[in-house]
Amino acid sequence: MSTPLQVYEPFRAGLPKLGRYWKSLWSRRTFIKEYSKSELREQHFDSVFGQLWLVLNPLLLSAVYFILIVIIGGATDSARYAHLTASLFLFYLVANSLTGGVKSITAGQRLILNTAFPRIMLPISAVVIAVFKFFPTLIVFFIIKAVIGTPFTWQMLWAIPVLLIAIFLSLAVAITISCVNVYFRDIASFLPYLTRTLLYLSPILYEATALKPNLRALEIFNPLFPILDSWSRAMVHGEAPHMSSLLQGLAWATGIFFLGTYFFLSREREFAVRL
Amino acid sequence: MTNELAVSIRGVGLTYTTSIDKKPTLKARVKSLGRGKKQTRVVRALDDINLDVHYGQVLGVIGTNGAGKSSLMRCVAGILPPSQGRIEVYGTVSTLLALGVGFNPSMSGRDNVFLGGLAAGMSREEIAANFDEIAEFSELGDAIDAPMRTYSSGMYARLAFSVAAVVRPDILIIDEALSTGDAKFKEKSLNRVKELRSDDRALILVSHAMQTLRETCNDVAWLHKGKLIQRGEPDVVIDAYQEFLHLGKSAAIDEDV
Repeated sequence: MSTPLQVYEPFRAGLPKLGRYWKSLWSRRTFIKEYSKSELREQHFDSVFGQLWLVLNPLLLSAVYFILIVIIGGATDSARYAHLTASLFLFYLVANSLTGGVKSITAGQRLILNTAFPRIMLPISAVVIAVFKFFPTLIVFFIIKAVIGTPFTWQMLWAIPVLLIAIFLSLAVAITISCVNVYFRDIASFLPYLTRTLLYLSPILYEATALKPNLRALEIFNPLFPILDSWSRAMVHGEAPHMSSLLQGLAWATGIFFLGTYFFLSREREFAVRL
Repeated sequence: MTNELAVSIRGVGLTYTTSIDKKPTLKARVKSLGRGKKQTRVVRALDDINLDVHYGQVLGVIGTNGAGKSSLMRCVAGILPPSQGRIEVYGTVSTLLALGVGFNPSMSGRDNVFLGGLAAGMSREEIAANFDEIAEFSELGDAIDAPMRTYSSGMYARLAFSVAAVVRPDILIIDEALSTGDAKFKEKSLNRVKELRSDDRALILVSHAMQTLRETCNDVAWLHKGKLIQRGEPDVVIDAYQEFLHLGKSAAIDEDV
């Protein structure tokens, strides 16, 4: 008799076979793409006005925050505005992954109860959606930058690894929070406060260098801090970011990713019962 | 049985705890800290089920509501891990447990064919190759390009069944999905299932339509309260089941509770 293709046994805490898991995830990459696309379409991002809103929304937000900076800090220089928009747009990539990821499992209930697939697909597609939403804002930033006249240099290419680290971190937090939300459903309502706090603790409304020395702890305990700092250095000022910041951001992302993914994979077989 | 084994279910049990609190929340967890015990209820959905399905078999699964039919199907499909026992599956499984899983109502029928097909594990090329067949089978005509939220529930179900019917897995599990649409479509979908019967495929049908099962199956299993009561020739098992339904409870079945 041939060996069984699939064996289902009582659920034990521990990881599924990673090789097979990856293979079945990889074979569903088109589904991830289509699923994300359909979600985007549901939010009307395929229409011209939908995309316009996508750009308008962060632009209005950055305008509001700029007014805030001007009133409180008295800063009026245009580089400051470029820093604000660049950082805010990248911040929203992570924040959108969080808000999209948190309900990805609980909203995919029908899918989970009726089809067998690697559950991690759902938070992944939440991140794909957030990335899709991010790209138009990038174009807007380049227009702003050209208008303001901050320098375009080769050092700006550093933004690419920074962006990759940011996407990695987005994935890590989306996987983690989607899993946590299965067990504690009120995390979703708590989330806006979390993102708001993160927004103020990150160098968005202020530049990283302007941080008071006695607040340096923020720099160490906020995963977004080194990433946003590097992003602003590369994108706005056109200079190379500190290697230590890059490594710190990468370390945070890797740490959260492995912890969250372990938690997710060892729990996901239980999701169908928990929903 | 001469044919090869498709699914082997050995001593499978499934229990799960449902919480009395509607949703698990951090608030509820904090509140229950003082009370000590968690407010939960243990549900025994399946109890020591042994069942083999061979290729070439069409197995009908019958039982009253809450007998554990759907739970068993989900276990075989790998959606729910069993609490005890072992399930071995020798082939690719496609499930039709609920219609239109993965469909997005704001998109057109055409887009949803792709989405639903991908959710069922087909590749894009496969779906594209079968698209005409799916569209024709669903009898939707021009409506296929209209958003699915404009569909009637019958149209929705017809498209969903059409997508699922072109998937040609080794093992196909259909849970009460045959009774969709009008009489004509029902007939058509039943014919499709009959077409799918072959020596290198195993079908598992969950249904309450006894006549359908008598016609299509060559084997029937009767579940009651998570236990396998009887298994064998369709006519024999269905007769026994129908007798049980009319007579009410019999001692042999209800002994445990």
